[in-house]
Amino acid sequence: MATLGAHSINLDLDQTYERRTPLSVARGRLLIGVVLFMAAFVLMSVRTIDLGMSAPLPKRTAERQIVVPPVVFQRSDIVDRNGEVLAVNLQTSSLYANPQEIKNPALVAEQLAGILPGLSRAELEQKLSSKKSFIWIKRKLTPRQKWQVNALGVPALNFRQEEDRLYPHGRLAAHALGYVDVDGNGLAGVEHYFQDRLSEPGRTSEPLVLSLDIRVQYALADELESAMRAHQAVGAAGLVMDVRTGELLALVSMPDFDPNNVRGVSDTQKFNRATKGVYELGSTFKTFTFANALDDGVATLEDGYDATKPLKVSRFLIRDDHPKKRYLKLPEIFAFSSNIGTAQLALDIGGERQQEFMQSIGLLAPSNIELTEVGAPMYPEKWRKASTMTISYGHGIAVSPLQLATGISAVVNGGTFHTPTLLKNTMAWQDGKQVISPATSRQMRQLLRLAVTKGTGGRSNAEGYRVGGKTGTAEKASNGGYARKSLISSFMGVYPMDDPQYAVFALLDEPKGTKETYGFAGGGWVAAPVVKNVILRTAPLLGVLPREEDEGLYQRVALMIEDD
Amino acid sequence: MRRLFTCIAAICALASGAALMQLKHAVQEQAEEVEAIANQIHADQESLRILKAEWAYLTSPRTLQELSIEFLALMPPSPKQVVGSVTDIPMRHSDEIVSGDTSILLPSANKNSGADAEKSATENNRNQAKSEETT
Repeated sequence: MATLGAHSINLDLDQTYERRTPLSVARGRLLIGVVLFMAAFVLMSVRTIDLGMSAPLPKRTAERQIVVPPVVFQRSDIVDRNGEVLAVNLQTSSLYANPQEIKNPALVAEQLAGILPGLSRAELEQKLSSKKSFIWIKRKLTPRQKWQVNALGVPALNFRQEEDRLYPHGRLAAHALGYVDVDGNGLAGVEHYFQDRLSEPGRTSEPLVLSLDIRVQYALADELESAMRAHQAVGAAGLVMDVRTGELLALVSMPDFDPNNVRGVSDTQKFNRATKGVYELGSTFKTFTFANALDDGVATLEDGYDATKPLKVSRFLIRDDHPKKRYLKLPEIFAFSSNIGTAQLALDIGGERQQEFMQSIGLLAPSNIELTEVGAPMYPEKWRKASTMTISYGHGIAVSPLQLATGISAVVNGGTFHTPTLLKNTMAWQDGKQVISPATSRQMRQLLRLAVTKGTGGRSNAEGYRVGGKTGTAEKASNGGYARKSLISSFMGVYPMDDPQYAVFALLDEPKGTKETYGFAGGGWVAAPVVKNVILRTAPLLGVLPREEDEGLYQRVALMIEDD
Repeated sequence: MRRLFTCIAAICALASGAALMQLKHAVQEQAEEVEAIANQIHADQESLRILKAEWAYLTSPRTLQELSIEFLALMPPSPKQVVGSVTDIPMRHSDEIVSGDTSILLPSANKNSGADAEKSATENNRNQAKSEETT
């Protein structure tokens, strides 16, 4: 039994071993699996709770974020000081063709010639029957033309997207803006000067803000154009400048052109008379001689000179256009625009000092403005006694209208010279250099105002706006002499004279007298009314109020001017 | 029992799978919509540029002046018409009635045809300008 028992136990053990082993192994393995799964589930639930509790990661969404594709263009817009668009790049389509795919060139040529004016049928047919696989047909089509070409349904005709520079205001401000070539490179004006800035990648969405005011620009252009027509002048130039900052609000040169289409535009039209043209501007220069003399203390307003008869200097004879034939006080010399008196005043200043002063006021060096079309002034290399005398009244020296306006601005604004600019910079009043004392500037303002109320500039007197200014009439130099009949007539006006804000300059090239001007074509007759009209039209826009004049400001000096 | 559980689990898995698909699809649709809107905004911005240029062209001072001469009887203001401050305006009498007639702004209607009216309006303007100059 024992053995049996033992055996049986043994057997029993053996049996249990045999029965249990696979089961327990399986169970053990299952347990491991369960534990693993449990661990995984615990991990997942912990993570789920963790995710649920934590704030969403912002970066996860950014990967999916959809951004509006920015409107990109290759060249910055140009806007005026009020944000009015002056130049803008727009998408256009250019038409090209694959001649190899065209079966009937004659028909296609005929259809295209009907849609695109300016293309000849024969030429098109020849182009379309060539063996090439790519030819330009026309660049920069209008949307309407594009639609019509598409409507033809010729598969060989295709479009390429290009950018076109558009000047919505056409001829207005053409000389200041300039123009671009077919590939969008600036060739003149600020387009040329700021070529790098305008096409700088990453900055093209930032417009270039000019100091121009398109409304003022138009008023000046319109008035100059009608004056030019009325007096059959060959050209005209004008500008409006903020005397406090040197910013140009308008810059006009006539004849002008449309920068949208410069093909066939003559050089005369492209020529910028306001900055590149240099002219002998005549009596307006007396302003500088007077400012110089008064500032240096060479003379006071009470002084005077004898103007009874013409002055003879070497081979010149200095004459007065409005001779008074008597002793004239300084205010009289200025108001009646006496060359004889001014020349004597200049002699008292002396040639060297005169040169120095003109240098300081920017008349002897090209203007520093944001244009490449800048003319260099012309003046004698040797500053002789005769030069000193003639230059004192604006003969024998040729400067650009821009230089003159910049100089006058400095004379009237309290004596600070500001570099002229085409960029909006209302803070420019802060920098500038003092060229004459504020006291001299005040005296000059009185003289300029009286030259209008009592002197030669009467036709510029825009009622209520206290205009001051000086006329200028010079004969054009030709063949070494002067042509008596061809004049450069100009007027330099500043308003309001009790607190100068804007300088308006108008110049007419070879104007003819009319019945209205009794045949006269001098600055006081043809250019002064332009300035007056421009002031009347623009002063309300620029926020200058018309008001009663404070006569007391001018009374003392006015009494020195005797009318006869 | 066990079979029922398996069934429920399978249904749950299927349902959640379907829901996930649905959600993914909806998200995709939304994303496409957002993208379409973004593209629309881009297109609008582009046409805005064109419209701005057109606006500048249509409101160029020269165009405005021509239209004003043609359709309105407005004259350039004289300095007397410019008012500096509110206090410069006299008080209106309480019994004064202002007519709402705006035809004063239009060119006088006694002209025969459009072309004539236009011409005379232009001439009127010029004459006015001239008389201002001479005074």
